[in-house]
Amino acid sequence: MFSYEKKLQYPVNIKNPNPALAKVIISQYGGPDGELGASLRYLSQRFSMPYPELKGLLTDVGVEELGHLEMIGAIVYQLTRNLSIDEIKKAGFDAYFTDHTTGVYPTAASGAPYSAFSMQVKGDVIADLHEDLAAEQKARVTYDNLLRLIDDPDVRDPIKFLREREVVHFQRFGEGLRIATDKLDSKNFYAFNPSFDKHCNKR
Amino acid sequence: MNEREKLLKKLSAAQFAVWELHLYLDTHPCDQNAVALCKKHSEEAEMLRQEYTQKYGALKVDCYNTAEWLSDPWPWDITGSDC
Repeated sequence: MFSYEKKLQYPVNIKNPNPALAKVIISQYGGPDGELGASLRYLSQRFSMPYPELKGLLTDVGVEELGHLEMIGAIVYQLTRNLSIDEIKKAGFDAYFTDHTTGVYPTAASGAPYSAFSMQVKGDVIADLHEDLAAEQKARVTYDNLLRLIDDPDVRDPIKFLREREVVHFQRFGEGLRIATDKLDSKNFYAFNPSFDKHCNKR
Repeated sequence: MNEREKLLKKLSAAQFAVWELHLYLDTHPCDQNAVALCKKHSEEAEMLRQEYTQKYGALKVDCYNTAEWLSDPWPWDITGSDC
């Protein structure tokens, strides 16, 4: 089960609302490389992970991503508070406003709502860990792109924190892949799927 | 930054150290130095958590703190000068 702690992993305190930034940052809430997809991917993949280190790693990273989802939600919420209709129109926030007012909805910046088509659970340790490594890099690139678009230091600060977490998770997943391959047939990693062909595991 | 936010930041820093070491230990479970370091930060975080809870209310729900638990600020609320 999960228990909630009534605090953010890293503080978000944005003095100046800015709906134009909310419009792009929302992608890390519900976009293809966002935090919702990340937590759902890892927390789902972990059930078919074959080794204890990997069960632990996928659980922990998946849980941390839920904390990041909450941070992105807080950023979008704070960027869209106390807006006038003029500010909404001027920032091009009118399309989002029409559908969601200033609620926080899981969508990509480009407008597509969150879709599980942006992630996979293959039930194979090599396939899933390679997806996880790629996912961390794609999220890192998204944060790099956002940092190119954002000037406000109040917004840059938590985004920089989140970007660094992608780099650390990539490192940990790389080590996880090493742990997995060390346990497989070194001449043929694909000789069997340790998540499915259980009788082939070393006893 | 007010006193509550300063203490919350100290607590978050200690918890972050614990978490970072915890993730590292997922892939390096035999690293005793990391285990010791994690324990050290964990004790510090627990002391700060108790201090914060005494001064500003619960961070985790329990059956004694309903009204206090529900009170603002929630984590996404802005707590600067304009609140």
